[in-house]
Amino acid sequence: MFNLYRSPAASRRAFLKALGVGAALGATPFLPMGSALAAEPALDTEFFIFLHASGGWDVTLWADPRNEKRGIIDPATTDNTDTSHLHRWVDAPHDDDVKSFALVRPAGSNLVFGPGIGDLAEMYDRLCVINGLAMNTVSHPDGTAFSATGRHLSGGRVPGASIDTVLASELGPRQTFPLVSVQFPSSYTGDGLDRRAVPLRVGQIGSISKSLTRAGQYDTDADRDAVTALLSREATQVAATSSYTDVLQGMSVQYDGLRRMLGENLQDVFEANRLKKEHPELDYKARFAGGGAVNAAFAIEALKRNVVRCVSFAMGGFDTHAANYRFQAEVQQEFFEMIGAMVKQLDKTPHPTLVGKKLSDHTHILVVSDFCRTPQINMAGGRDHYPNNSALVISPRFRSNQAFGKSDPDQLLPARARKFIDGDRAIAPPDLIATFVSAFGISPRKYFRDGEVVPELLLHA
Amino acid sequence: MTSRALQIASLALLSIAGCGHPAVIAAAPTTPLVARATEPQDSSTKADLRLVPAEAYVRTYLQLFGGLDPVTAQTRARGGDGGALFDSWEDYLAALGFPDYRLDLPRATQTNGLMMAAFERLGTALCDRAVEHDLKGKTAVPVNERIIFAFDLPKGAAVDLAAFAPRFDVLHRTFLSYPASLAPTDRTRAFFDLYTATVARHAAKTAAKSRFTPAEDGWAVVCYGLVRHPEFHLY
Repeated sequence: MFNLYRSPAASRRAFLKALGVGAALGATPFLPMGSALAAEPALDTEFFIFLHASGGWDVTLWADPRNEKRGIIDPATTDNTDTSHLHRWVDAPHDDDVKSFALVRPAGSNLVFGPGIGDLAEMYDRLCVINGLAMNTVSHPDGTAFSATGRHLSGGRVPGASIDTVLASELGPRQTFPLVSVQFPSSYTGDGLDRRAVPLRVGQIGSISKSLTRAGQYDTDADRDAVTALLSREATQVAATSSYTDVLQGMSVQYDGLRRMLGENLQDVFEANRLKKEHPELDYKARFAGGGAVNAAFAIEALKRNVVRCVSFAMGGFDTHAANYRFQAEVQQEFFEMIGAMVKQLDKTPHPTLVGKKLSDHTHILVVSDFCRTPQINMAGGRDHYPNNSALVISPRFRSNQAFGKSDPDQLLPARARKFIDGDRAIAPPDLIATFVSAFGISPRKYFRDGEVVPELLLHA
Repeated sequence: MTSRALQIASLALLSIAGCGHPAVIAAAPTTPLVARATEPQDSSTKADLRLVPAEAYVRTYLQLFGGLDPVTAQTRARGGDGGALFDSWEDYLAALGFPDYRLDLPRATQTNGLMMAAFERLGTALCDRAVEHDLKGKTAVPVNERIIFAFDLPKGAAVDLAAFAPRFDVLHRTFLSYPASLAPTDRTRAFFDLYTATVARHAAKTAAKSRFTPAEDGWAVVCYGLVRHPEFHLY
């Protein structure tokens, strides 16, 4: 019998227990239940692309544009920015000969951009922008981990699973490649993850194809397949006699995955030259995004062939502390235009399993960065690290043509976005991650310690 | 003066008391402690298996290749025969889980599908080149100079289980460092079945062309299985 008055010790225990139950009940509305969990799991028809703008981008040049001197904010001007290659830069008055930029607002758009957005601005009706993301960090490794996992580093280690790993584990373990990660901060940490979803982390896509190549003069596919099948059984049998079975059973399923991987003859999906030939719509000669374009081509091809669930990749060039800030806007333009070209191609590509559907109808893209850059221009003509951020979602499950969250007008710091369970505050990466996974019927609490679902971001809240 | 005398007297008294005979404690037989409860000692493993670091894997691989340095092993593995068994170490480093500090890629501490593919690719190269070196030389290589197949084989013919078992044990000790008879599974039987199925597949009239005889293919496949075995990669 539950007796609060049994003894002082019992009383304290019982009180804490009751407090815990109360807290759990009280937190129920806070949990990502509601609509998200009620929805049918998307299972194997949805695809994901995660992009990381590595180095920290200047949000005043795209999502949270600032084109006038206000507070501590120095806007981008013709003095500090090379505008010669910018499609969307239109001079606006600033200070005598020095010009700032006119805001980019395509007709019909509720969104206002800076010139860094490039031609992706024309897709305003598919973009969901999140501004004023509170980062609480200006360290590259920490900001990178926080954006991808919703957790700050703990003693230099990433304490949680990244969003791409979680989605691969939940929705893609049966896929040939649940998650291919090219320099993206993917992490496989924590309980409840399917071992098949351990990210394939590589420096470049081409390095995968060499491991998939097989010689034909000695052994045959049947020989190797028989060996792999035997090893899968061995792993299972050895696991049965072991105290801890997770690693061995994981190897067993990975052996099975290897059989499928090699059976599908996928070397050409991972070969850069073939990808370039297959997808001429991407600009491989772009000054900053040329390498990233190969990854984008891989994403399209791998999704088209239905061999991956998630593709994650990063593009560098955003960390502009000095004179290289002159090219920040151009780096952004190439990055966003690469995303635009990828989306257009996904529009033209039929879904591999759903008849009559486009791939873009079931592909969900999340674009993040480490943090943003200081509102002031520093003595070297660049911008340093700043604990604010923006993010971009392109997903049929998110409300588009809207910006959620904001930064303050004078200091570019995250401002109150809404009332969360812990009070009025700015949105933060854990909230965005919780919202993203909840859009696919996955309970964020299963994998993420922090974060609250933001229904305002979801199309069907 | 009086207090000084008192102090000296007190010290003298104390020292006399301290030098007295020690108290004698009578010896008594000790009684054994009575067991209140018994608990079996928990000697089970307290942590899951871990992946051998990539550096250890490559070092072992080179050792198995005859103790070669990486560049020589790469040259031998590639060969000059168009066999396409190996590319270059650079092509496999990421897949094997090596960290890449240039790109800030961390070390892979768990296996993944691509790593399994790389293990197969490298294992196949090792075993095929070992068959060529040990079993296909123009002149017979003495057993003690062989790199993997350190046992005699009847020329050309496949072996039965009785002949297979001791030879498999040699390979098992080479790759997994303990006798096959101690394996937690009926490993000798399982690998013998793999061996015979491979020999039969390559002896068939419709078999794909191979540079090896069916029996050599059989031993090569047994070698693939051991160099890719979970126990080879975990500790």
